Amino acid sequence: MKNHIAALSLLLLSTASVAVAQEKASPLEISGSVDTYFKYDFSKVANIPTYFADEQNSVSLGMIDLALKKTTGKASFVGELSFGPRGQYQSIPDVLGGYDAATNSFNIQNLYINYAFTDKFSMTAGYMGTFVGYEVISPVANFNYSTSYLFGSGPFQNAGLKGTYSFSDKVSLMAGIFNDWNVYQDFNGVSHFGAQLMVAPVEGWSAYVNFLTGRSAGAGANGTIIDLTTSYQITDKFKLGLNAADYGVSDDGGGYSGAALYPQYAFTPSVALGARAEYFTFKGAGGAANASVTSFTLSGNIKSGGLTFIPEVRFDNDQDAYIGFVKSNLAPTKTAAQFSLAAVYSF
Amino acid sequence: MKFFSLFGGLFFVISIALAQEISVLPKDETGKYIYYEVVSRTANEDSLKVRAIDFLTKNKKEIKLKSSKETAKVTANGKMVITKSLAMLSRPTGEITYTFNFEVNAQKYRFWLSDFEFIPYQKDRYGNFVPSTTVGIALETDAKKSNADQWEDYRLQASKYAANFAKRFKDHLAGKLAATKPSPEKKVISKTW
Repeated sequence: MKNHIAALSLLLLSTASVAVAQEKASPLEISGSVDTYFKYDFSKVANIPTYFADEQNSVSLGMIDLALKKTTGKASFVGELSFGPRGQYQSIPDVLGGYDAATNSFNIQNLYINYAFTDKFSMTAGYMGTFVGYEVISPVANFNYSTSYLFGSGPFQNAGLKGTYSFSDKVSLMAGIFNDWNVYQDFNGVSHFGAQLMVAPVEGWSAYVNFLTGRSAGAGANGTIIDLTTSYQITDKFKLGLNAADYGVSDDGGGYSGAALYPQYAFTPSVALGARAEYFTFKGAGGAANASVTSFTLSGNIKSGGLTFIPEVRFDNDQDAYIGFVKSNLAPTKTAAQFSLAAVYSF
Repeated sequence: MKFFSLFGGLFFVISIALAQEISVLPKDETGKYIYYEVVSRTANEDSLKVRAIDFLTKNKKEIKLKSSKETAKVTANGKMVITKSLAMLSRPTGEITYTFNFEVNAQKYRFWLSDFEFIPYQKDRYGNFVPSTTVGIALETDAKKSNADQWEDYRLQASKYAANFAKRFKDHLAGKLAATKPSPEKKVISKTW
């Protein structure tokens, strides 16, 4: 019995010691999400090529996303892994930089370490969700379930080292050096420079001006993207978002430009309706003509606890027949329309 | 056997201590939850106002001064983070914002916390939890059946926070939280006998 008491005392003592030693550490945060969807293209062929909700007439998988975060004093880390088409081969490159379901085995969304030197200045190193653009890979942070052409054309993630300085609650500046887009290792050295200016002029309105430039491994020219992402909660119920971007490759190497508007109206805290209206241009490379596409998406968000249902209809117009939409008889057409219903659970 | 009795007793005492009930905040005449307290003055008017502002400055991550222009009056906006915890795990689910008011008169000072609003968090692109909107939901709002327990927990956490905030604030104004001096480092002079 004495042995039991001694063992228990030792256990309590060690637990207390650990608790004291970790006084400034926050508990380990675990969070994540799961999503699944049904999509039906009215031409009975999967026409619209933007990311994720792409499988025709099928109850299909998004991903399961698991994230860990821990803060100890001024240091913190985030490790976020995803499994499933959305979180693997549809958004994460394999070791060769391709999107191949047969060989893809990596599934990292975020893997970085942050150190806050002061209340105003912090530095981050690792693999992070991109700072460019309005929409993200995780369905939890997007209003619409399908994604925009702007999202699909820009970077998904950037590995690098960045520093962020907050001048005030209303202004901050980030600058950093980064790998090529969406790669864990940069084979031509750390070749990109990026920066982000954040301003929040009034309560409820924030705007991010993003800049990323560099030459990727094997590329013959520099690519530069300038991106504006902003949202404004105009009234208690109405929010307006905007994303505009221009990506150019030097030496007439093509690129893209576009803008998307995101008006959203919340009928109640649990029910909201939102639209996305997008105009997007593929820049022709080597003297080729540009091609444009317009897209209109209407989505509902119906929430109950951690669950969100997203019914959605989408109409795209490929006005220069660049994408190559087809009708049910496979004859070419300039328009495509689809319906999808997604369920997203976050925890 | 003695060990199990001792352990059982200890467990019972700890359980009782942890289970001490926290009640939801009372409502004011407009139907809003409020933490309101009147305290007898322990210092002069100017000194109390300076100490109140000093408290806000020292807790700037939690509460920010809004106005101190009026004589003997200070207002501020604050927030508390709501977390969901299980064993060693935890994650923030949202924050409750509130307004803080402080006034001094001839014999007393008073302060109150009100306008409690809940803002849910969502994960951003970097895996951090951030406010999903700038529009809060008043804590007085009737919850849906499916969220009733969760909503009640938010109210209880707000009540617990307000009580803790009030204690810290009163202690600061009473001058109890003077900067703690680090204990002098013990030195061993090994060269002397």
